[in-house]
Amino acid sequence: MTLLMTQLSKLKKYSVIYNAFFKASLVADLEYRLNFVVLVIGEFVWYSTQLILFEVLYRHTNIIGDWNIDQMRVFIFLVLFVDSIYMILWDPSFSAFTDNVRKGTLDLLLMKPINSMFMLSSQRISVSHIPCFFITFAGLFWALGKLPQFDWFKLLWLILLIPAGLSVVFCGRFALNATSIIFTRADFLQYIWYSVFRLGLRPDAIYSGFLRVILIFILPFAMVASIPARILLEPTQAWMIAWALVLPFILFYLLKKYWNFCLKYYTSASS
Amino acid sequence: MKMLFTAFCRRNLALAKLAIVTNLEYRFNFIIDAFIQPILTVGVEVLLWVAIFNTVAKTADATGLIGGFGRDSYLAYAVWAPFLGRIAISWMYEAMMVEEVASGSINTILSRPLSFFEYYLSQTLGYKVITTLFSVTVPIALSLYFKLPIHFDRLFGAFLIVVYYLFLVHTMSFIVSALGFYLTRVRSFTLLKNLSLTLLGGELVPIDLMPKALADLLLTLPFTAGVYVPLAYITGRGGSELLMQGFISTTWGLAVAGTVAYILWNRGIREYTGTGA
Repeated sequence: MTLLMTQLSKLKKYSVIYNAFFKASLVADLEYRLNFVVLVIGEFVWYSTQLILFEVLYRHTNIIGDWNIDQMRVFIFLVLFVDSIYMILWDPSFSAFTDNVRKGTLDLLLMKPINSMFMLSSQRISVSHIPCFFITFAGLFWALGKLPQFDWFKLLWLILLIPAGLSVVFCGRFALNATSIIFTRADFLQYIWYSVFRLGLRPDAIYSGFLRVILIFILPFAMVASIPARILLEPTQAWMIAWALVLPFILFYLLKKYWNFCLKYYTSASS
Repeated sequence: MKMLFTAFCRRNLALAKLAIVTNLEYRFNFIIDAFIQPILTVGVEVLLWVAIFNTVAKTADATGLIGGFGRDSYLAYAVWAPFLGRIAISWMYEAMMVEEVASGSINTILSRPLSFFEYYLSQTLGYKVITTLFSVTVPIALSLYFKLPIHFDRLFGAFLIVVYYLFLVHTMSFIVSALGFYLTRVRSFTLLKNLSLTLLGGELVPIDLMPKALADLLLTLPFTAGVYVPLAYITGRGGSELLMQGFISTTWGLAVAGTVAYILWNRGIREYTGTGA
């Protein structure tokens, strides 16, 4: 009972802090309104390019991998939906990570009396991605509506699958950022991330053999959207559900170990 | 006159060297930038095109062609497009230019006997030269290994147009940073501009695959000179007339962008109050 109360108290504390972070980010983003509007337009352009690529490709072929255009639209909207959640919650903080290491401002964040991983991942929220969240969510429903005889109850699986996909993105990006502690200046780790993340932006059917196994089990970017899309579009496979259940626990366990390992290398850059 | 020109050349060479030394200082960063990132990007794109052509081979199209071109032609596109796309875009130096204006640290450049445009142009070119020299080995090696239809004798012409296009890219970066005099926070303009260039330049989707009217329109714009035109030239999709068209469109693009940049900069600098120390 006492343990439960302690956990609830912690949850409340973190909710209050997160609320404060959100308000601060909202004020900061809306301070320069034209910049904010252009940012929103820029995000729409980026999301549109992903859609346009496949719309153009399907003008010349009926099937890519295992899917036709209607099925591919479900995949694309799903990947963009997960991406928008990630961008809202964590991307601004992760993008500032290497600068914090290089300039020494990481000291200040590590000294706060809260979980360091929470502090480093959630300090800033991207308000400009919120419109994309709603648009991609609506797009997902639109794409599903175009499928003949879609079982809408299957959407309940997303309650499990989307957090699993987000855990892959969160842990992957955090681990890569943590590596910058070892190398001090590692700005280009971010570009590696964008390249690796591209693996998840494509359906797993384009990968074959060992590479596909890697993308499902070792660098599990298939969990971001490919596996959720397969569960929605194809007969449910038990191993996929089981993997989605287990994966976040494995990833967070490994991430915590790796984070502690990297922190041992941290030498403050500030005075 | 001759002394002025010599001083100009020496100054710009020194700035280009500065960019090269700065980028080589952190070797791990450089290796990732020059090798790892292009390899990963090319790998994903190649796999996508292999999957598309595997499907085409299994299904209706007996010719095995898409938009009039075969598997190897698209693999060549997938191998070279990300490489050219990375040369023909400016993220890092544009961000630095924007930051200089926003933070007021531009004062230190304005008080020197060189222009802000020149200072960053030479650095951008230096950076592009050093990363290109190393990372070009990736598409060349892949083209040779997979025997892709690349006209290696046309590489010089292709690089020439990309370098020329870089002047346009830099002028656009200059416009974005000059907007900082009026709007203070303009980082989002970089994002919007660069994403638009990726789409309009043909890096993401080959222009041949787009609807004809749209493809024709895009080819008249200067933005295809960064990726599609040099790529079409080295893969044999287009000849010297396409390359010439690219040079012409880039020239009028430069004229328009140069005029806009000139107006924005001159008005902005008049209104600017330096706040840096």
